[in-house]
Amino acid sequence: MIKMQRGLRTAFVAMALAGTAFAPVSALAAGKLTVSSPQDPGSWDPIDTFLVNWASVSTNIFDGLTYRGPDLKLVPGLATSWDVLDNGMRIRFKLREGVKFHNGEAFDAEAVKFTFDRLLGAEGAKGPQQSNYNSIGSVEIIDANTVEFKMKVADPVILTKFAGYGGMIVPPKYIAEKGDAYFNAHPVGTGAFKFVSYEPKVNIVLAANPDYFGGAPKISELEYKFISEPATAVAELQAGRVDLVIPPTIPIGMIPTIQGNAKLAVVTSPGPTVYALRFNTRDGITKDPKVRQALIMGVDRDAIIKSILGGQAQPIASFQGPLSFGFDKAMKPLPYDPAKAQALLKEAGVAPGTALQIDLRGNEATFIEVAQAISAYLQVIGITATIKPYETNVLLNDIIPNGKTGAMFQQSWGGWTLDYDNTAVAMYKTKEKWNPYDSDPKMDDLLAKQRTITNVAEREKVLQEIAHYAADRALEMPLYNLNAIFGINKRVKNFTPVPDSRLKFTDVTVD
Amino acid sequence: MAAFLIKRLAQAIFVVIAVTLTVAFAIRLTGDPALMLTQGAGSVTEADLVKIREGLGLNEPFFVQYFNFLKGIFTLDFGKSFLGGTSVSLLIGKALPATLALAFTSLIVSIVISIPLGIKAATARGKWADQMIRILSLVGLSFPNFWLATMLVLLFAIAVPLLPPSGMDGFESFILPAVTMGIILTATNVRLVRTTMLETLRSQYIMVARAKGLSENTVLYKHALRNCAIPLITFFGLQFGGLLGGIVVVERVFNWPGLGTLAFDAVGARDYPVLQAVITVLSLMIIGINLLVDIAYGLVDPRIRTE
Repeated sequence: MIKMQRGLRTAFVAMALAGTAFAPVSALAAGKLTVSSPQDPGSWDPIDTFLVNWASVSTNIFDGLTYRGPDLKLVPGLATSWDVLDNGMRIRFKLREGVKFHNGEAFDAEAVKFTFDRLLGAEGAKGPQQSNYNSIGSVEIIDANTVEFKMKVADPVILTKFAGYGGMIVPPKYIAEKGDAYFNAHPVGTGAFKFVSYEPKVNIVLAANPDYFGGAPKISELEYKFISEPATAVAELQAGRVDLVIPPTIPIGMIPTIQGNAKLAVVTSPGPTVYALRFNTRDGITKDPKVRQALIMGVDRDAIIKSILGGQAQPIASFQGPLSFGFDKAMKPLPYDPAKAQALLKEAGVAPGTALQIDLRGNEATFIEVAQAISAYLQVIGITATIKPYETNVLLNDIIPNGKTGAMFQQSWGGWTLDYDNTAVAMYKTKEKWNPYDSDPKMDDLLAKQRTITNVAEREKVLQEIAHYAADRALEMPLYNLNAIFGINKRVKNFTPVPDSRLKFTDVTVD
Repeated sequence: MAAFLIKRLAQAIFVVIAVTLTVAFAIRLTGDPALMLTQGAGSVTEADLVKIREGLGLNEPFFVQYFNFLKGIFTLDFGKSFLGGTSVSLLIGKALPATLALAFTSLIVSIVISIPLGIKAATARGKWADQMIRILSLVGLSFPNFWLATMLVLLFAIAVPLLPPSGMDGFESFILPAVTMGIILTATNVRLVRTTMLETLRSQYIMVARAKGLSENTVLYKHALRNCAIPLITFFGLQFGGLLGGIVVVERVFNWPGLGTLAFDAVGARDYPVLQAVITVLSLMIIGINLLVDIAYGLVDPRIRTE
């Protein structure tokens, strides 16, 4: 027995020694930025994906003809200028000269035509991107540095779409030589960083492109680690093995943990995602607009933002945030007024104690708390609300589209084009997938009309009119616009949070 | 013997078909991958969705899809991931070794801890040391694995930054996940070793060995432990199968690039080919281990064959 105890003791000492040997859980090399991203999109080909997590990486590998920077303004990308002709039926781009893909291939009109022919052809049909570019008829080469897009229909949002996803310009010779499958795992673009290596489900490593047309990045290496579990991502941040955790990873509840660490900081910016509880406007008590108004007025949304969301959100008056084109600053949410709410309910003949059901996504812990608070507020005005959590995909793909929801249901929305068109059409147009209940000819007309207007100011007016009209009819209970939350190591300098996570790391430095 | 083997093999094949069929059917009830892929796209029409479903091969009838999948098992071609189109065989080929390595290390950690502790408990039966070891094993059994994992990370990766909190990158990254799994396995194993050892210590040959005046260590480690080995090895072997299933949560906490992480992501993305392949590989391994154990028993003990 003594021998055994001695053996154990030796083992413990050995383990302790081994522990100290591993001790330098290394600080990252200066000049390298390590980012935790919640999901491996599985593909780097721009036509295969619609995941924000694809865009957050690929913004650094690829460029589009246009570019939307951190301030979300549309500026030249691979095109230096463009003219919108014939009321938006033709768009002519002047291309940047002297730009090369990472493999040395020249970027020119040929590459632009190839990119869009591929996207709109058979290869693109297999992926989710094509539908967003269907308004394009054909791409014609005018000369080596000029291309013209002939449109099937005018599309006021297309310039924004050229700045992201399927609109990213890909190298024709490289893809012809290596094939689509190889390109999928070994992407080549014109972007600020070159592809180095990709380990599915583990990481993707990029290196600075010294010849980038926008100026060489200030860091030499960029690594994205795929970490889906928030606690794990935060632990990596605390351990100094990750410099930046991008949304939508960090839950509100973990903010204090990060703030409590002197080396770390939380950076937030208003995000693209808005939350609302939408109404069944076809049946039950919520058929009556008065009742819907009463329910909206019966919930103190400011208090919910302050207490449950830790102030990491802004109230909204329509189903869009301030980043969205079509947002009307002057529009104010219905005030919290339980007395008025009760009066309205009485007017509508709703008996106290009437029950209704709120359907929501079962995997969003924070929103479940929000819904519980809402249910408590509704109790005060005499409505008994029950909360029914669904598996997210069941709610999104079955319950809502088939009109099987309760009187109220959760909808969170974050369109990447940051144009209210995307949201409004999906939510309010008759027979759209997300609009199982409502059918309103006036709304349909307004939605169709704004798509034909190419004058920016005029179109904005119509979009605002749509927002006001939806609010007048109380089609949903607008809740809040949630912040995008980043956790960052303070050794990272010059970091600007971008609401849609499409972060280009050209100016960032790491001490 | 041949008849026994054929019967057991037929049973195994039946189980594989039952498991894969259930998985293939159940996962298709949970949502449409085409809709998953186009979430966030603003203007997707039903015609677009039809095209995407065709691209993914979802327009085929269920049994055609299932038959193609079964064919894939034999050619080791499980198709392509819906999420990005990476070959599923490639994904499994990377994840399986990671999971096996972790499961194996955990088992070793557990054996290294549980054998000396189990023997100690058996020899000190009813005494203070035995009570302590039994209480500790009860505590170990009661830990939820994700909680234990989080605590170990807080302690050894953040409070005292000795080890990496996640990832699979070198020897040190094995320690925390393997210890987490190891502690949980140890809790059961200690009790098993103790019971087996107690039975062995009652046998006559142990009394004879002691009577011959052999040292206590020789009696315990040379004579008794060897005779305990057969049931213990069988149990550890079977435990390996269970371990593969239980590793999913631990893999997620430690961001371990194994089958568990693969399965977790596949569920979220409705990635049918990946999820089907992961579950098939796991069940094939568990069935395989069981089959081997049964065959080994059959070889050793003729009574089992004729049952």
